[in-house]
Amino acid sequence: MTPTAATRRAPAPAAGTAHRITATALRIAGVVARRALLLVVLLAVVFAAVELLPGDAADAASERGESAADLAARRHLLGLDRPLWERFADWMTALPAGDLGTSAQGQKVTDLLADPLPNTLVLAASAFVITVVSSLLLGCWAASKPGGRGDRIVSHLSTAAFAVPEFVVSVSLLLVLSLWTGWLPAATVTGGDGRPATWTMLIMPVLALAVPQTGWNTRVVRGALADQASAPHVEAAHLDGLPPHVVLLRHQLPGAVPAVATGLATSTGLLFGGAVVVETLFNYPGVGSVLAGAVAARDTPLIAGVVMSAGAVISAVLLAADLVRHATLGARA
Amino acid sequence: MTAAPPAATYRPARGARRRTVTLVAVAALPPLLSLAGPLIAPHRLGTPVTSPFATPGDGAVLGGDLLGRDVLSRVLHGGTPLILGALLVATVTTAAATLTGSLAVLRPRVGRAVERAADVAILLPPLLGIMLIALAWPGGGRWAVIAAAVVLGTPYAVRVVAASAAPLATAGWVEAALGRGESTAYIALREILPNLRATVLTLFGLRFVEAVYVISMAGFLQIGPQPPASDWSLMVRENAPGVLLNPWAVIAPGLAIALLAVTVNLVTLSLAPDTTAKAVHRA
Amino acid sequence: MGVTRRQLLRAGTGVSAAGLLAACGGGSDGSGATAGSGGADRPRTGGTLRVGALGHGSAITRDPHGTQANESDYLILALVFDTLTVPGAAKNTAPRLAASWESSQDLRTWTFRIAEGAVFHDGTPVTAEDVVWSLQRLRRTPSGAARLPGIQVGNISARDDGTVVVVSDYANADFPLMTRFSSFVLKKGTSDADIARAPGTGPFTLDWFRGGNARLVRNDRWYGPAVHLDAIEVTMFETPQAMANALLAGQIDLASNAGAVAARTARSRADVQVLRRPDDMAMPIVMRTAADSPFADRRVREAIRLVVDREAMVKQVLSGYGTVANDILGTGDPRYAKDIPQRGRDLVRARKLLRDAGFDLSRTYELVTTEDISGLAESATLFADQAREAGIKVEVVKQESGAFWDRTWKSGDFYTSYWGTNDSVVFFASKTMVSEAGQNEAAWHDTGFDAAYREVIGSDDPKRRAAALTALQRIEHDRSGYLLWGMADGIDLAASKVRNLPKLPGYGRVQLEGVWLR
Repeated sequence: MTPTAATRRAPAPAAGTAHRITATALRIAGVVARRALLLVVLLAVVFAAVELLPGDAADAASERGESAADLAARRHLLGLDRPLWERFADWMTALPAGDLGTSAQGQKVTDLLADPLPNTLVLAASAFVITVVSSLLLGCWAASKPGGRGDRIVSHLSTAAFAVPEFVVSVSLLLVLSLWTGWLPAATVTGGDGRPATWTMLIMPVLALAVPQTGWNTRVVRGALADQASAPHVEAAHLDGLPPHVVLLRHQLPGAVPAVATGLATSTGLLFGGAVVVETLFNYPGVGSVLAGAVAARDTPLIAGVVMSAGAVISAVLLAADLVRHATLGARA
Repeated sequence: MTAAPPAATYRPARGARRRTVTLVAVAALPPLLSLAGPLIAPHRLGTPVTSPFATPGDGAVLGGDLLGRDVLSRVLHGGTPLILGALLVATVTTAAATLTGSLAVLRPRVGRAVERAADVAILLPPLLGIMLIALAWPGGGRWAVIAAAVVLGTPYAVRVVAASAAPLATAGWVEAALGRGESTAYIALREILPNLRATVLTLFGLRFVEAVYVISMAGFLQIGPQPPASDWSLMVRENAPGVLLNPWAVIAPGLAIALLAVTVNLVTLSLAPDTTAKAVHRA
Repeated sequence: MGVTRRQLLRAGTGVSAAGLLAACGGGSDGSGATAGSGGADRPRTGGTLRVGALGHGSAITRDPHGTQANESDYLILALVFDTLTVPGAAKNTAPRLAASWESSQDLRTWTFRIAEGAVFHDGTPVTAEDVVWSLQRLRRTPSGAARLPGIQVGNISARDDGTVVVVSDYANADFPLMTRFSSFVLKKGTSDADIARAPGTGPFTLDWFRGGNARLVRNDRWYGPAVHLDAIEVTMFETPQAMANALLAGQIDLASNAGAVAARTARSRADVQVLRRPDDMAMPIVMRTAADSPFADRRVREAIRLVVDREAMVKQVLSGYGTVANDILGTGDPRYAKDIPQRGRDLVRARKLLRDAGFDLSRTYELVTTEDISGLAESATLFADQAREAGIKVEVVKQESGAFWDRTWKSGDFYTSYWGTNDSVVFFASKTMVSEAGQNEAAWHDTGFDAAYREVIGSDDPKRRAAALTALQRIEHDRSGYLLWGMADGIDLAASKVRNLPKLPGYGRVQLEGVWLR
């Protein structure tokens, strides 16, 4: 640890440690509570939005020959004849017990999501890891020689990558890596364990999700590093005669962490959005494809279940980003 | 949430001319495409000229689509609605965000409301929100998607503007105006807004790129433009089953979207100094 | 008949391909791989068939009496459970769990005899009590009245251990036809909670089911003909495109209902066979005939039928994988009137008819469509273009599926419909065209047609019945609210090693118990 870096850390006074721990715990609890509240608000909004959709789940699950009376019976069976707020309250109170309700087709929502959710998490997490690693590598490489040829290439490529929608990337990958060359399996086939039968089936979906996000985050990393380049402690490190890569990794990068964490957290929502398209195209057994069908079938409990799961995951990631930022900013204060 | 660094509020003079040129370029692109494309299209849009997914040849330079219609003609037509839609979204979002953002720094209550709205919006993946809003308004077509993109995009945009405007609220001349007892609207419009030009321009560009992404994703999920409209994203979707029979029916519109997005993005970045772009990106 | 909106979308029930207008349809146009095989080869026992079928993760249902929106779910159920009857080739209703059936003189009381040696997968024999309980359970579902029309719960009973008696509210010569799709038999008293694990009586038992995918293994105790496959693995696909890609990549052996584009893609592949099942799907254009509709005048409807270029529709919309039709629904019916002259395109006459009827050509007419099945929206688009050549301005409006069924179906002036059940002219007459029909899509009221229909169902004299049926089809051809331009083939893709695949359209495609691998 160099002296310059050390000065950034506020010395921890021995007295008042307990008090500070309590304060920190309170603050964290506050942050968690705020995230939970936001999630509830979101769910209420989604419930209301689905209510606005034309027709309902009873319609969607009905058959061509059904009379109005049959439809009413089905509606009653699904509990759709009860007021919206009552259904929402029911749904919310069952939530802590892990009960997400019943889909329009009469299946337990938890059953319908039990396999798809982990699959989507694997998909999104793989894409996320690739995004983190490649955007950090590319961003650092570009920042190592600001304005150089590498910097320009990375800048243009990342711009191009983040501007191109996932379906264009997906269809291109499918065409090149599978249909023309036969290198990778074209579609995901699911085994008895509910997971893709081979790991090679993950490659194209992960790439299709990771490419646009890498583009975005590379720009964030590059920007945050540039920001840090003019910070006094970094300039001091340069003056100390440290090699540029050491300065970059040990002095610029730590300061860039809050900005990078926020950028990556934002990516989580985009990954879920992209998953809807990518999973459908590659027949990947995740929540994205479940959601696409659920929206078409106006299946309120199922849509709410997916939104709830996605919202919870995104909340967790945002929470992590909050904590990273709090920690970093707290240290700076 | 994000403590965005203050944006650059002044610009070096030498950037001005380049900015003007690129602005003209970006402004000229959509009308050029929407005018020229349909004019040079060789065939009627709805009439089959060849067999479904026919390979290039027989007067169809890029082959046939799923109904045997001319792919080239449909690509030339298919950009107009996307570009105009994205332009509309970018304009409305930026305008709304600029006004609200300027107000938000002067009226903390507005600022807090915007923050909460953005906090909730971030939990809803944008595409999911679009699906919900567009399906709640089934006859809405393109307008539903445009409305959804504006509603979901504005909270973020307001946050960006507010972050850039925050330092201005404490600037001497604003405090002086407050001291003179000027109205909030006056201060927002006359004192704060003019100093946000760089942020607003960059924001506009990024909102445009974002809108291209959102509208084409929605089109791909068949929300918004409906068959038989010629639309790039719709073309990728409806021709995907025949990608092995006539790859051009998918590659051509896909490439068109990619090029549009990349071009606009590059223009946007050249519009603003790095710091502003970064600030807008990060928030 | 339990025709579900989404369930039957691509399905058709139906009889053999024989005897259609089908000059160009029919048979398999697969690769040379089929040559020298077929009947001459002795079936080989063993092997696992990997099948792809369409379905959505959101719509999974495990209840045999539920609404199966997924083809994949129905395929699995149809292999694990048995219905009383199944679609057949020689006659459109073939025995399955019911070995035989007979009716009383008045065609109201139907007696079904349960197949000898039928046992559940857990070894217990199938009794009439189980069948009665299952039919009653089916009848009690929200769509029960549509699935067992004219049958009250109390009128289903057991005569003895092996005989079930069903009494209909009215004479119904076609009742056994109604038991082909959803009369799955479960053990008496199976609770809703156990439905997913309930033993069936079918040719395969469920090894595992997960997220719409399943593995089924041969049931050696099945009472039917020998089953050759060791196992069937079913993979659910969200899109026909992903399914076709998987087949071309060798990840599955059979892509059920893959569609025409996939068939053309696979045509150049020697290792893939393309199977065509004619008369699979009807996609008629409906013109509302009520007085306030622009199509109220029968001359206008005639003109619209003369405007369409049927050959072009089949070529462009179906990629040639289909046959031209003659505005009569039920093309798969053995009693379909083949002698009624084929209507062709005649723009001159169409214009004259429109002029005579005072049809407003300055207006733009909206043709409403949806995208439930592939080709539907495309057919509307192409028709609009063809109508333009006759001076009629047609604008295609695509609605989201839910909005279409809620708002347009049965009430719109001009829209596309589709039917997967095409093996009975009388079925369509009773369901969609006779004045009181519950699904009278064109709001058609024609006294001549109604009279012919009553003659058909009320007459026990075969000659008079046949004459009335021809008259009925002639009236339908002349002045109904339908424009039926063609029939789409059902298309399966299979690896060349797969033998004895189902040839029937619609639900016939789930009959995989006879399949073997070379």
